[in-house]
Amino acid sequence: MSGRGLLVFVLRRLVVLALLLIVISFVTFSLLYISPGNLIDILLGARPHTAATVRALTREYHLNKPFLVQYWLWARQAVQLRFGTSIQTSLSVTGEIGARLPLTMFLGIYSFVLTMVFGIGFGVISALRRGGIVDRGLVGAAMLGLSTPAFVAGVALLYVFAIKVRWFPAYGVGTGFLNEFWHLTLPAVALAVTTVAYVSRHTRAAMIGTLDQDYVVFARARGLSSRRVLFTYLLRNALIPVITISGVILSSLIVGVVLVEVAFSLPGLGSLLVTAATTKDIPVLQGVVLLFAVVIVVANLLADVIYMVVDPRIRVGERAT
Amino acid sequence: MIPESLPAATHDPSAAPVLQTEGLRIDRVRPDRRDTIVTAIDLTLDPGETIGIVGESGSGKSMTARAIMGLLPRGLVAGGTVRYQDRNLLDLTEREWQAMRGSEIGLILQDPFTMLNPLMACGKIISESLLREPRLSRDARRAEVVRRLAEVGIRDASVAGRYPFQLSGGMRQRVGIAAALARDPRVLIADEPTTALDVTTQRDVLALIKSIQAARGMSLILITHDLRVAFAVCDRVYVLYAGSLIEMGSSAELDAEPLHPYSLGLLLSEPSAERRTGGLVAIPGSVPAPDEVAGSCTFAPRCNWAAPACTQDSPRLAEVAPGRLSACVRLPEIRAEMAALRRRGEQDDRPVAAAQPAETPLIKVQDARKVFRNGRRTVTALDGVSIEVGEHESVGIVGESGSGKTTLARILVGLERATGGQISVGGIPATNWASLSERDRRRLRSTIQIVFQDPYSSLNPMRSIGSILREAIAIGAPDMPDRGAEVGNLLRSVGLPADYARRKPVALSGGERQRVAIARVLAARPRVLVCDEPVSALDMSVQAQILNLLISLRAERGLGYLFITHDLSIVRQLTERLYVMHSGRVVESGPTEDVLSSPRDPYTAALLRSVPRPEPEWLAASK
Amino acid sequence: MTSADPVLLLGEQRLRAGARARRRVVSPVIWLAFAVMAGVLLMALFGALLAPQSPSAQHLAIVDAPPSGAHWLGTDALGRDVLSRVIAGARTAFFGPLVIAAASFVLGNLLGLLAGYRGGLADAVIMRWVDFMWSLPSLVILVVVAGTVGSSYWLAVAVLIVLTVPFDTRVIRGATLEQVPRPYVEAAKTLGVPRWKIMLFHIWPNVSPVAVANTCLVFAGSLVTLAGLEFLGLGLPPGIPDWGLMLSQNEALLFTNPLATIAPGAMIVLTAIAMNLIGDWLYELLTSRGAGR
Repeated sequence: MSGRGLLVFVLRRLVVLALLLIVISFVTFSLLYISPGNLIDILLGARPHTAATVRALTREYHLNKPFLVQYWLWARQAVQLRFGTSIQTSLSVTGEIGARLPLTMFLGIYSFVLTMVFGIGFGVISALRRGGIVDRGLVGAAMLGLSTPAFVAGVALLYVFAIKVRWFPAYGVGTGFLNEFWHLTLPAVALAVTTVAYVSRHTRAAMIGTLDQDYVVFARARGLSSRRVLFTYLLRNALIPVITISGVILSSLIVGVVLVEVAFSLPGLGSLLVTAATTKDIPVLQGVVLLFAVVIVVANLLADVIYMVVDPRIRVGERAT
Repeated sequence: MIPESLPAATHDPSAAPVLQTEGLRIDRVRPDRRDTIVTAIDLTLDPGETIGIVGESGSGKSMTARAIMGLLPRGLVAGGTVRYQDRNLLDLTEREWQAMRGSEIGLILQDPFTMLNPLMACGKIISESLLREPRLSRDARRAEVVRRLAEVGIRDASVAGRYPFQLSGGMRQRVGIAAALARDPRVLIADEPTTALDVTTQRDVLALIKSIQAARGMSLILITHDLRVAFAVCDRVYVLYAGSLIEMGSSAELDAEPLHPYSLGLLLSEPSAERRTGGLVAIPGSVPAPDEVAGSCTFAPRCNWAAPACTQDSPRLAEVAPGRLSACVRLPEIRAEMAALRRRGEQDDRPVAAAQPAETPLIKVQDARKVFRNGRRTVTALDGVSIEVGEHESVGIVGESGSGKTTLARILVGLERATGGQISVGGIPATNWASLSERDRRRLRSTIQIVFQDPYSSLNPMRSIGSILREAIAIGAPDMPDRGAEVGNLLRSVGLPADYARRKPVALSGGERQRVAIARVLAARPRVLVCDEPVSALDMSVQAQILNLLISLRAERGLGYLFITHDLSIVRQLTERLYVMHSGRVVESGPTEDVLSSPRDPYTAALLRSVPRPEPEWLAASK
Repeated sequence: MTSADPVLLLGEQRLRAGARARRRVVSPVIWLAFAVMAGVLLMALFGALLAPQSPSAQHLAIVDAPPSGAHWLGTDALGRDVLSRVIAGARTAFFGPLVIAAASFVLGNLLGLLAGYRGGLADAVIMRWVDFMWSLPSLVILVVVAGTVGSSYWLAVAVLIVLTVPFDTRVIRGATLEQVPRPYVEAAKTLGVPRWKIMLFHIWPNVSPVAVANTCLVFAGSLVTLAGLEFLGLGLPPGIPDWGLMLSQNEALLFTNPLATIAPGAMIVLTAIAMNLIGDWLYELLTSRGAGR
């Protein structure tokens, strides 16, 4: 596909993305109205129920306007990254999110790197040593990893490495890059347990499928070196399926972030989400949910583009001459 | 680099063999058992010579090729000796193998659609195969790739920039050949190089391989299941059956007088495209796994002349005449009888009278059109096709892939809907089955049924044979009083014992499954049967069985047939009239004998030319 | 045609080989997995009878106690017997996932078969919906639902069903699409077998290995997700014994009675592994019987 074709593809996906975001934002906005109980009481939270506070709330949330107008006003503010104030803390929601975002991002990227490196690495090693003891061990470990949710892994790692052997700190974030790195290692590993297992299983299956392909036999038959065969033939072809599961990987990481931040008492977006849910702090919920939604949608678009770039069959179109 | 001088392809028998296997055996090793794939393979290849290894599926011929290259899949181990340049190749380390593969011995695989890395452009595939030394500049490399493409008949340099999926099967195979020859090996092994290609392309690719071999002075091992192809291409032929070599001889001598009952049976059961024989000679049974016949002659269970002596011990190849090896222990006694059968087979010629087309044809297709729309692309599969099939008639439709013949067949049985034209079957308009009443549809189904090509997937693997047939009876003949008995009748009518009803398809061989598929459609007592390549997925020695079955069913029940195939030999043996299709149109039609003896359309002539004939002249025939 | 004897001879041998393959022994790991599931089922059904003590009885004199003769796994922060709570917790670990797995099995198979076999508009609509929903982070959605509508176990189960059906549909549709072009389906069509019979009796048996294995995976996955929700404190009132809830409540006890956290955590992992292993094993078993070949 020419550059123009690629551009058209991306534009089309962006339109879909915009539509999706509108739908998601609508749903997120409506969360306020799904909640049972008096809207005013929810929004008041712990504040007293007086004529003055009710009037202030009505003005702030435009409660006397029709539903769709409220949505429009809210959406307009959301695009400018203004989500109102937290019911609990009365602080700006955007501010709270902004304060916690770096930590969650750090944690997320750390786990993603771990996932890719170990997931693909174990999968490849497993496939190349198929049937051997290394493979059987890795397959068993992957089964264990798939069945161990991030919070169980988190608590287990906490117990072994922070309490028993005291190699890592048990909670807190630490200051400075390296210190933060060290503090976040246990949470990142706990997070990555499930995703590494998932990616390694998929990679192993894809590799084994590729190993039996005729084009690999033909490559070896031409005397190509093992290294070339491994990289140019096996890895490239086997990694394409990994791109297709990237959506699931991302979802797992997001879920894991929430669990792990609570397990390790880390002040990130995940624990903010949980606190907001526990205290029914709707504006905060709306902000965090929308942020997550945007990340997921954008990441899926990226994965589609990468897939298209990597696989010429999609790029050039199936046409025989 | 292509050698400057082009030596003629002289085969010097006095020179030492360039490749030799002694006692080569391949086993599949599992934790609890060991299965034999091939055993006691002794091959000799002289410089400049072409030898053929002929065998059916399950004979182990592909694995033999892989073993010689050291490319056996996991779980398979090779034993014995493969001698090349005074070394036993089976002792090589992987690193030594990498120096050997491609530069000494090259391999071409069977399926051009899976042989090339789908993610690499063709030029890259060839250039990565070139030797590292001498180091070439990028331009020099590109020029070399273009030169190599020209060697395999691709003059369009832009092919180097295209991906495999953008090329046709024949082009892909040529690119594969160029890549396999990139390091100028001395020996080339071609594993069924044309089986996956269209009939008209096959001859061209085989001719190409032969001319390259002559130009480079290579030795060639051709692996194939088709004896005629082997005779046309090779100097000497080895015949492999159930993992053992059973005969070897020069092409001419083996063709004239095979010295083993299996080779004889194979030659006799090949339908000829040149004359119509009185009936095909089939080899009963199917190819066994090597371990099932260990310790005896592998062919004994199916052999007409089997005697107690044959099951005592595994016979080895022995020289029975100069340059002739055979593993038949009874050869001296039966040689004359076999020769007589061979002569009779060659002379059998019973032309069938030209059939008069019936007044009211059973199937009438007028100007059928079918257009497939896939997104933005439209493909015209049928472009105004008209055919007729009378009651009790046997008619053939020949063409290659893309001719539209399969689409026509599918439309006739209601699997597709024609976009234009009129179709009537048994008097009922059949252009669009969905628009008919259920009663009309039922009548159509009891008039016309279809037998599919692939017996391995046309039976539901999860159901027993009996339940498959019972379902067919329930729909096709719901008033049948005793369905269980009818199941037995159906099985018997296709030559299978009644207790096969208990079994599942996985326990049956390919030929048996195809019989069940035929029994299944007979349940509705149709008047005409559409057979879509009914034997092309079966072993050669089994094909004749099924064709004979179809002939006898026709005689018993007055069935009509519509044979859809690319194989001219089959239509010659089984049909009275013939339609030739190409790119969605009928290009020629008429009585089978006339069309095949004196074709009028150039495409028909091209099809006829591409039927393998067991002489080297076949390859050199006018293009 | 000569006699069928050689045909019979070879056919017999093939049949015997097939029977030999079927009698392959079931590995001890699978027996263990079934034992674990049986144990969990028993605990879920008869927890109250099996538990040595009442799961909610508080012994405030011996809070945070390490294991002892009376309390094999010690006590928690409120002096409750951990072992009894673990046994009683099997209930919430089992029934929710069971309902989710069953519902998404039925709905996912129906929708997947329909989408794969009928194609056309139904397929396009179903696939749009599936594409949108299949990789959403379920736990996050559960948290949001808990935070707005309210925190309830069966509400979470209902939401998970809605979230899991698209995943199942996608898997079954893929498996169906593999079967639809196969000649035995076309043969059934040309014979005149009605469409619904083809879907149910021809295609589905060949899709069943995938369907069954997937359901086991869904069970394990829902178990883990629900436990995660409890861990976050959203889904059950604090008194109910539940493995996820216990893990979060007893996290503070890691220094004094680690078993109070290790036990429920181990149960979650064990049950999930058992179901995953059984799912894989069922897949192998059904495929070796011929399905989908």
